[in-house]
Amino acid sequence: MDELELLKKDWQKKDKDFPKLTYNEIYKMILKKSSSIVKWIFIISILEFVFWVGIAFLLKYTGYADDMANVGSNTAFIIMSVISYIILAYFFYRFYMNYRTINTTDNATTLMENILRTRRTVKQYVGFNLIAMVVSVGILLPYFIKQDPESQTIIEQATADGELLKFYAGIIIVTLLMLAVVIGILLLFYWLIYGILLKRLNKNYRELKKLEV
Amino acid sequence: MNKELEHSFVELLEKHQNIVHKVCRLYTNNYDAHNDLFQEITIQLWKAYPKFRGDAKFSTWMYRVGLNTAITLYRKSKRRIDTHTFNDFEFKIKAEDYDDTEEQQLKILYKAVQQLNDIEKALVFLYLEDKNYKEISETMGISEVNARVKMNRIKTKLKTILNP
Repeated sequence: MDELELLKKDWQKKDKDFPKLTYNEIYKMILKKSSSIVKWIFIISILEFVFWVGIAFLLKYTGYADDMANVGSNTAFIIMSVISYIILAYFFYRFYMNYRTINTTDNATTLMENILRTRRTVKQYVGFNLIAMVVSVGILLPYFIKQDPESQTIIEQATADGELLKFYAGIIIVTLLMLAVVIGILLLFYWLIYGILLKRLNKNYRELKKLEV
Repeated sequence: MNKELEHSFVELLEKHQNIVHKVCRLYTNNYDAHNDLFQEITIQLWKAYPKFRGDAKFSTWMYRVGLNTAITLYRKSKRRIDTHTFNDFEFKIKAEDYDDTEEQQLKILYKAVQQLNDIEKALVFLYLEDKNYKEISETMGISEVNARVKMNRIKTKLKTILNP
């Protein structure tokens, strides 16, 4: 006999081997909270949005943003803020719509794809913020140096000593290193969190896709 | 959620609970993990229940949510590394029902099924539950042809394990 047929014959007799939960036991279960990966992805994604919006607010309330606004032109700063809020709203809308499509009654492949799409949106949002961070540092740093009286004194000193090039090289290297460290820590953090959370899903999704080749 | 909905759901699940037990037995290897997964599948079924349309059979619908929870949504709990494994209890084979060879074969087969990956287990599970290839392909979101091909590969794999 075919091995699986043998197994099937036995499997269908298994019913009596399982525990029989009572009505009350099942009822208690539906009152408990889920700990599914979708719930965790949702929580972590919301935290990511809060984190980046939080940074923006922090800059505003510590007066740092005002300094930046003074450095460049006010209008340019307002336009940049408006654009960043529009982008935030766009990402949040997309995230929410993706999240809503996650349905446990879909087939396995569709469910996995929908979860991965939600994750991808947040990943793009984080990527956007990282790029925005690098670009704004690149644009604003020269203005800062120009405006800051302390930097000006150092520049004058460096010019007198003939070490201006050294001064600029130092600034660029320190800035790049700091950016690399910050981005590195953030990426490691995401890689760890999502790596652990989505390990099983990714493996099973790859396995399903392999079948389609 | 109103009481009536809760009542009808719990009643239906109580009646069909073996489907969930079977999924749990296939994807876990100890009592605590079994209970943990049972709990999560129950929550997912309950969350999806308001959208359940009477036109689909409750049991058919349970297969989908149960498997999706086991292979996609469920986060392995720490309790899974418990030492209380099912081992012999897991798929107890009653001596009076089978001859020695069959009993041995079944033991090895159940062990072999436990070693399959999550997706292979899902296919085997649906097959053992007497689902046809159309249903298997619809539940997994793959084509019917691919479901057949994969099932044949699994059969060969099991045959090799059984007759090395």
